[in-house]
This record gives sequence, C-alpha cells and structure tokens, in this order.
Amino acid sequence: MTHWPHWLPLVAALPMVGGVLTPLLFRSRPSLAWAWAVSIASVTTLASSALLLTLVGSGPFSYAVGGWLPDYGIELQFDPVSALISPVCIIGLLSLIFSRRYVERSIDPKKVSFFYALVLVNLGGLNGFMMTGDLFNMFVFMEIFSVSAYALVATAREPIAALAAFKYLLMGALSSLLVLFSAGVVFAMTGTLNIADAASRMDVAGPMPAALALAALATGFAVKAALFPVHFWLPDAHAAAPAPVSAILSALVVKAGVVGMLRTLELFAGAEQLLQPLLTSLVWLGALGALGGALMALVQRDIKLMLAYSTVANIGYIFIGLGLATASAATGAMAHTLNHAVIKSALFLAAGAIIHRTGLRHIDDLRGLARRMPVTSFAMAFALVSLSGVPPMAGFVGKWQIAVGALQAGRPAVLAVMIIAGLIVLAFSVRVINALYFRPPSRISVASATEVPLSMLLPIAILTAGCLGLGMTGQPVLEFVAPVIKNLYGAVP
Amino acid sequence: MTAELIDLRPALAVVISLACAGAVFAARENARWRAIWSLSAAGVKFALVWSMLPGALGGAVYSFRVGEVLPGVAFGFRVDALGLFFALVSSTLWVLTTVYALAYMRKSHSLSRFFGYFALCISTTVGIAFAENLFTLFVFYELLTVCTYPLIMHNEDLAARRAGRKYLVYTLSGGGLILAGMAMVYASSGTLSLAQAGILDASAGGTTLLVIFVLLIAGFGVKAALMPLHAWLPAAMVAPTPVSALLHAVAVVKAGVFGIIRVIYDVFGADLLRQLGYTDWLAVLAGAVIIIASVKALRQRHIKARLAWSTISQLSYIVLAASLLAPLGTLAAIIHIANQAFSKITMFFVAGVIERGTGKTRVDELAGVGRQMPWTMAAFTLASLSFIGVPLTAGFVTKWYLSLGALQGGREVFVGVMVVSGLLNAAYWLPMVYQAFFRPMPADRKAPAGVSPMMVGPVLICAAYIILLGAGASAPAMPFSLAEAAARFAIELKASVE
Amino acid sequence: MNAATSVFSHIDYLVAVALFLSGAWILLTSNNLVKKIIGLNVMETSVFAFIVTTGMIDDGAPPLLAAGVEGPFASPLPHALVLTGIVVAVSVTSLALVLVLRIKAELGSVELDEIESVGEHDDSAGPGGGSG
Repeated sequence: MTHWPHWLPLVAALPMVGGVLTPLLFRSRPSLAWAWAVSIASVTTLASSALLLTLVGSGPFSYAVGGWLPDYGIELQFDPVSALISPVCIIGLLSLIFSRRYVERSIDPKKVSFFYALVLVNLGGLNGFMMTGDLFNMFVFMEIFSVSAYALVATAREPIAALAAFKYLLMGALSSLLVLFSAGVVFAMTGTLNIADAASRMDVAGPMPAALALAALATGFAVKAALFPVHFWLPDAHAAAPAPVSAILSALVVKAGVVGMLRTLELFAGAEQLLQPLLTSLVWLGALGALGGALMALVQRDIKLMLAYSTVANIGYIFIGLGLATASAATGAMAHTLNHAVIKSALFLAAGAIIHRTGLRHIDDLRGLARRMPVTSFAMAFALVSLSGVPPMAGFVGKWQIAVGALQAGRPAVLAVMIIAGLIVLAFSVRVINALYFRPPSRISVASATEVPLSMLLPIAILTAGCLGLGMTGQPVLEFVAPVIKNLYGAVP
Repeated sequence: MTAELIDLRPALAVVISLACAGAVFAARENARWRAIWSLSAAGVKFALVWSMLPGALGGAVYSFRVGEVLPGVAFGFRVDALGLFFALVSSTLWVLTTVYALAYMRKSHSLSRFFGYFALCISTTVGIAFAENLFTLFVFYELLTVCTYPLIMHNEDLAARRAGRKYLVYTLSGGGLILAGMAMVYASSGTLSLAQAGILDASAGGTTLLVIFVLLIAGFGVKAALMPLHAWLPAAMVAPTPVSALLHAVAVVKAGVFGIIRVIYDVFGADLLRQLGYTDWLAVLAGAVIIIASVKALRQRHIKARLAWSTISQLSYIVLAASLLAPLGTLAAIIHIANQAFSKITMFFVAGVIERGTGKTRVDELAGVGRQMPWTMAAFTLASLSFIGVPLTAGFVTKWYLSLGALQGGREVFVGVMVVSGLLNAAYWLPMVYQAFFRPMPADRKAPAGVSPMMVGPVLICAAYIILLGAGASAPAMPFSLAEAAARFAIELKASVE
Repeated sequence: MNAATSVFSHIDYLVAVALFLSGAWILLTSNNLVKKIIGLNVMETSVFAFIVTTGMIDDGAPPLLAAGVEGPFASPLPHALVLTGIVVAVSVTSLALVLVLRIKAELGSVELDEIESVGEHDDSAGPGGGSG
C-alpha cells in the first residue's frame, strides 16, 4: 500500500466524526447504527494497517494537521509506540461486532446508538492520543477517550454502574488535571509543548520545576493506567461496564496510561537524576501491583471482578518492565502491553458471552457450562492459561523478557515476585476451568444455556487465536519496538 | 563423532499425536473412529521413532529447528541418544497402553476427552524427549501438566478434584521453579541449548550456580516425585488405571527424571558438577528416598498405593544413578528409564485387570487370584522379580550397573542401599505373589468377568520385555546399546573435546 | 517566557497551589458526591489560573495585532490551552452531574456512606458493592 499521509489524522478523526453522527443518523434504528459503527471501525482498522505497513517499510513519520507546522499547529507522529493504534482498532472493531447481540439484552434500545457513538469516539480519542507527540494534544485526546469511557461504564443497566462510573470519573478527571498542570509547567520551563523539543531543552530547566512536572505527569498517567496504589477505581468500573466496554477499557484504555508513561520517559530522558527515583518506584509499585492484583483476583467470586483485578496485576508487570530500564525488560513491557490487550479482551468478551446467555457471573454458578457452551468455555480456559504466562502462549513473551531483564539488572527478587504472582494467576484460572469443565451444573440457566451466535463467537475466536499467535511471534514484536528504547532512558543503562 | 542431520521426523513424531488428539476430539462419542485414530496414530508414531534408531546407533543426531521465539530462545527438536531412548520407551508403551485403555475404559464417560488428552500427553512427552533446548523442554513439560490434569480429574468426583488440586499445586509450583531457574541460566550463560553437554561454567559464581541447581532440580524433582515433593503422586491414584500407568511408568514421572538427567549432564555438565559437588548431596537424598519410600510401600494396603510408593522409590534409583557422575552410573540411570517403565506398567496393567475382573483393589484380597488369572499373575511375579533385582530380569541390569557405578565413583555405601532396597522390594512384592498363588480362594469369589484379551495382551507383551531387557540386554540393536551411546555422550564428550 | 528558577517566585503560583490543595481536600474527604464535583472544579480552576499566569510578561501587551500596539506580547498559547481546558472541564462536570442524578434516582442518595451501606445489604447491587 502506498503511503498516503492523510491516513494519520483520519484514524483519529474518522471514528470521532462517525461517532458524533451515529445518534443523529440512526437514533431509532439500532441495527443500522451497528452497521455504521462497524463500517467506520473497519475503515479505521484498514487505515491503521496502512500506517503500520508504512512504518515497517520506511520508519517513523509525522504529519502536520492543516499544514501548520509544529510549535503552533497540531503535529501527529507515528512511531512504534503509536503502532498500538493497530491493535486498538482491531480490538475495538471486534468489540463492536460482539456488541450487536449483547446490547439487545443489556442496554435500553433507545440508547443503543449513543452506545456505539461513545465507543467510536473512545477509539478515535485513543488513536489520537497514541499518535500525538504534543503534551497538550495528549491532554485533549485523553479527555476525549476518558469522558467517553466514563459514559460507557454508565451505559450498563445495573444501578451500581452509575456509582462506578462516577468514581472512575473523579479519579480520571484528577489524573487529567495533573497532566494538564504538568503541561503548563513544561511550557513555562521550555517554551514548547512538543515532547521531542521539550526533551532537548530540558537542560535549561531548574531541578525543582522539572521534578514537579515529572511527578505530576507520572502520577497522572499512573492513575490512568491503574498502577498500584492508585488502581482502586478500576475493578468496579471494569466489572460494572457492559462486557464489550470492559474489554475496551481493560485492554486499551488503561494501556493509554502506559503509553503516556512511555512519553513521560521520553520527555525526561535527559534528566537522569530525576528519572532514577521514578524508575525505582515503578519497579516497586509494579511488583506490589502484580502481587496485590493477583491476590485480589484470587479472592473474587465475580468473574468480571476477577478479570479486572488481573488487569491491575498485569499493569504491574508492565511497569516493572519499564522501571527496570534494561532493553530486554522494556521491550518485554511493550510486548506485554499488546499481548495483555489481546488476552484480556478475549477474556472479557468470553465472560460477556457467558453473562449474555446465563445472566450469571458468580464463578460457582457457572459449573458445567463447558458442555452447553463449548466454544466460549474453551476460549475462556485457553485465554486464562495464556494470561498466566505458560509458554508458548502470548502471556509468556513479556514476562520472560521482564524476568531476564530483572536478572540482568541484578534484581532477582523481582523474578521471585513474578513467579509467585504467575502461580496465583494459575490458581484462579484453574478454579474457573474446574467450574466450567469438571463440575455438574448447579443452575438451571446453565443447564439450558446454548452457545452464543456467530457475531459474538467470531470476535472471541479471533482474539483467542491471538493468545497463541502472539506467543509464537514474540521475536518480531520485540524487534519492532526495540528502536523506542534509546529514546526512553537517556544514559541510564 | 556425531553428525547433525536436519530431519522432519522429530517434529512429526510430536505432531502426529497432536493431530490424533484433534481427530479424537472431533470424533466426539463415536467409539469406532476414536479407536481407529488412537491406534493408527500410536502405530505411526511407534514406526517414526523406531525408524530413527539405526541412524542414532550409527552416531547420527537428527535435529529440526522451528525458529527463535524470543531473543536467544529457540523452539527446536534434536534427537540425541538419550532423548531417543526416552521416546522409544514412551512410544512403545503408548501403543500398549492405548490397546489396554480401549478395553479398560469401555464403559466410562467423556471418552473423547479421555483419549484426546491421552494422545496429547504422549505428544508432549515425546516433545520433552526431543527438546533441543531448555525452553522447548519447559514448554512441553508445562503442557504435560495441563494435559494430564483432565485425565486425573476424569471421575469428576470429590476425590478426583482433591487429587487434581494437589497435583496442580505441586506441578505448577515446580514449573515456576524451573522457569526461575531457566531465566537465571539464560541470564548467566546467554543460551538454553542442551546440545553442548554443559552450558554453565564456574564463572557464574557459586551462589548463582547453587540457586540454579536447587531451582531446577526441585522443579523437575516435583514430577520425579523426589521426596519431599512426592505427595501428589499417591493422591493421583484416584485416576483410572491406564492413566496411573501412563503417569507412573511413562509420561509424567519420567519427564521429571529425564529433566533431572538433562540438568545434570547438559545444563551443568558432569565436569562442572564434579567440581561443585552438589550431586553428592543429591545422591544422598536419593538414597534416603529409595529406603524411606520402600518402607512406606510396605505399609500400604491398596495395590495401587503400594505401586505408587514403589514408583517413588524406583525413580530415585535413576536420580541416584545419574548423580554418581560415573559412566556406568549414567548408563544405569538411562537404562532404568526403560526397565522401571516396563516393570511398573506391567504391574499397573495387572492391577487394572484384577480390578476389572474381580473388583479387588486391596493387597489382602488377592488370595487365589493367581489361580483365576494365572497368566496375568505370572506377569506380575516377573515384574516383582525385576524390582527385586533377580538376574535375567531388567531390574538386575540396573542394579548391576548402578552398583558398578557406585564403586567407580568411590561411593560404596550405595551398593548397600541397593541390597537393602532389594530386600525391601522382596518384602512387599513377594507376599502379594504368595497370596495370589498359594492362599486358597474364598468360597464366595465369583469367576472373573469382563477381562478382554485386549487387556491381557499388553500385560504379557510388557512382561516379555522385562525378560528381553534383562537377558538380551547386550544384543546389538537393542535399546541398551543406545543407552550406552547416550551415557558415553553425557560423560565423555566434554572430556574428549578438552 | 522566563527561566524556570522564577516559577516559585510568584505569589500567583502559591495561590494556585493553595486552591489546588483545597480542591483536592474537598474531593477526597467529602462524603457528598456533589461536593466532590465542586472540589474537582476548584482544582481545575487552580490549574487554569496557574497556566494563564505562566504566559504573563511584566508590561506585556495582549497578543492582538492592532495599530499602535507594540511588543512584547504576552504568550497566547496558555490562553488557548486554558480555553480548551475549560471546555473539557464543563463537559466532565456535566457528565458528573448527570451521573449523580442517576445515582440519586436509582440508589436513593448522594451521600457516599449511605449508598455503600445499601450496597452491602442488597445482593442485586452487582459487583463489588462497598469494595471501593
């Protein structure tokens, strides 16, 4: 595919415009709204693939929106970190396909078009966020995907959803505010909001304001990514949301926080003495999150709440990898960002399929389901095993790289933490698998359940295949993200 | 010297049972197709593995590299003498166990699941045997855990769930230890290859080496039921008898000891371990396990429980022999993989025949069974003699070389362990033989029913093998010469290079 | 635009920090959901005030091109940032208020402790009632 530069703004703008139009055009026709949303997401996915191919073929590139050059215009860039928009689009598209039948039961028909609109806007915001190299644009795109995410959580019918969304909103707004504040400080220090420019001018900054900006920025993105101990908003929000939304939130939206943290590291790459304490605390908080998240997941009985806590644990892994700051660990963290997105979306969609058919979400209620819903149950079991990091599945790639990085950095304790956390993940996975496969049904709605329709099965199957496929293709993914490393840590080994 | 040949057969041997599993799952509850697929895959695999024997005896090493999965971490197969030996044992016994299981499980439920995972187990076992590096070995080792779990849980009752949970807690923790050890090996040597007879060297530092050794040996020691990591094994006896046979004689426990042999000879290397001296402690532990587990076996009243404890004891023979680091000891370790497998699977098959035929599962209920099933109990007697170490049986070969190895390595005390263990074996097997043949049958005993030739046939074939391995060990083209080649490679290659 | 050393030499920055902290206090400690929104708004205002003042230059003119106006101009970029920020803040606040309305309608209260005590007794409340 030849390089057409306008794909770059298009993958952010198209879903947003398409999203805003959805309720205007198809308010009373939910199935048309669905078709429209899927078409928009498909075109966006194709465009993101074109961008990815260009990146692989000819390296990173950028685009000045409207021809206005940087400093004043909006500049979009496409580097290996931005390439995350490709999985964002694919997972978003699959979640949309899945939603068609799911929303019939779980969302008021009058609001369905708004639901699709919010999903599209959310995807557009995520795409824009990952493609911008400008602090203020990051803030704007962050607000776009965040506000749509708060609203999406609230689309669930359960009364608790509104409260979960409200808590999510407060924490999200707080983190956005920290990012905005930081953008102001960086602008005051360096006179620019462009991350690459500001990074090169960071030496003129005094240590105090720079430290303030770094702390605010890192905290802001840590909240977005749900790093321990600012993760507490996540479980309720992700568990209360409708399943396709949970998939998008857990797979993609928290990953925006990770991308933000990567950009933060780029911005402060020159300021070693400031960066070192941040990196150390990332390792510690990541380790606590990995252990704590896994333990909390273990004690949950609600399947979606369990998956949500597992997201906290996996975000912990990713931040361990970023904090260790070795090439192996950092590339592993980035690979895990992708792989966890695929695994977790497969899990949330499978959980959604189960809830859609049985109305049950307590693990003990799901006994014997494998005989009634074999494909969904298999996907659930397969993705859980992948999540726990058994080779050669997708979960293994990042964890192995991070473990090797921990040893190279002389931190064997991190390795121990990861192994223990991995075993805990296996423990709760086995409990779910036992219930699904080796127990007789205890609920009538399980005994009479049937497999979900193809529109739900297909996304689950594709993502489940990804749980294995990405484990096989770890090497190319790691090579792909490797060039980013040199921008991240400056002189830190 | 050995010649490396690129060959598809190692990969095919793994894939064939994988395909078989798929076909069995697809056949659902169609018994005929299930049997056809299982048997033909077992046959094809048997032929594939044995077809590599002449080449391997001629010194060829077949390898097939799939590719790098992660930096420095490749996925690939490599058939050296040791791996081929293990694969020969597994694929041969798979044929027999499949025939046996088809008859034994006829009336059971969820059979496509059972035979599908059965095939997967063998697929992963051969994968372990043919693994070119520690990573590939670990992948199949973990998959083996996953694949045996549904077999242990087959009955889906409370006992099965408890045993399954115990099994998983032990084996998955072991897997975690191996993963940690593997990461440390990679971090200190930059490779995970098993083809170089030792990839670590003393420069890694004493503490690191000790930690790696403990992690890897403990990790593989779980499946090898090395005390104190053995508790899952007696518990797993709730599984159907063909599964117990598979777990205890072929797949799971042998994967553990095979891993230990690989760690000793291919990760550390005999030379390095002679310097470090870690294996002396391992040998002492194994010697203690041989005795303690035998004493425990003596006190078991359930036939299968006694078999399980005997397995724990027998596996430590292999660990002990391997950790002597003497050429003849290594030979004993490798040859005992086959000897113990054939002897123990004979006993499990017999236990299954007795259970199906008479409903008896306890040692003290055996009175008169020998007269009802003379051929079956004769096979059992033969296996007992093998475990005791009577000459002309397979077990004698092991004990002979193990004792020679102990003398070679200057550890005479282990000859004493052999003698004591032989006496203990006599003490718990011979009373069962005596009961079966020389005690009168209770008057109310019914005639045996439901035992098909498909169950007795494998019993007799295995028994014949015990004699073959014992009396004809040194005949050309027997597995014994392959074991010799493997031992030579493990011990001497590095010395000859230097 | 000035060197970073002067960031703390301004009284306006201190005011912004004081506002930010009081907003954060309200947000975190208040039991009433509406008050939490007010706290959030106070914090937002403090950040806006801070950013606007970073663009200020002593004796600078408004950044408008008109006859007779000479530089130096105050930096226009912070104003643009704040304008966008205000728009975002309005939308977040409105969404928050809508959510509070729904919480009031469905759970019967806007006091956090009351809501969560209801959640503990009501099994149908769904995931994690009271585990926040």
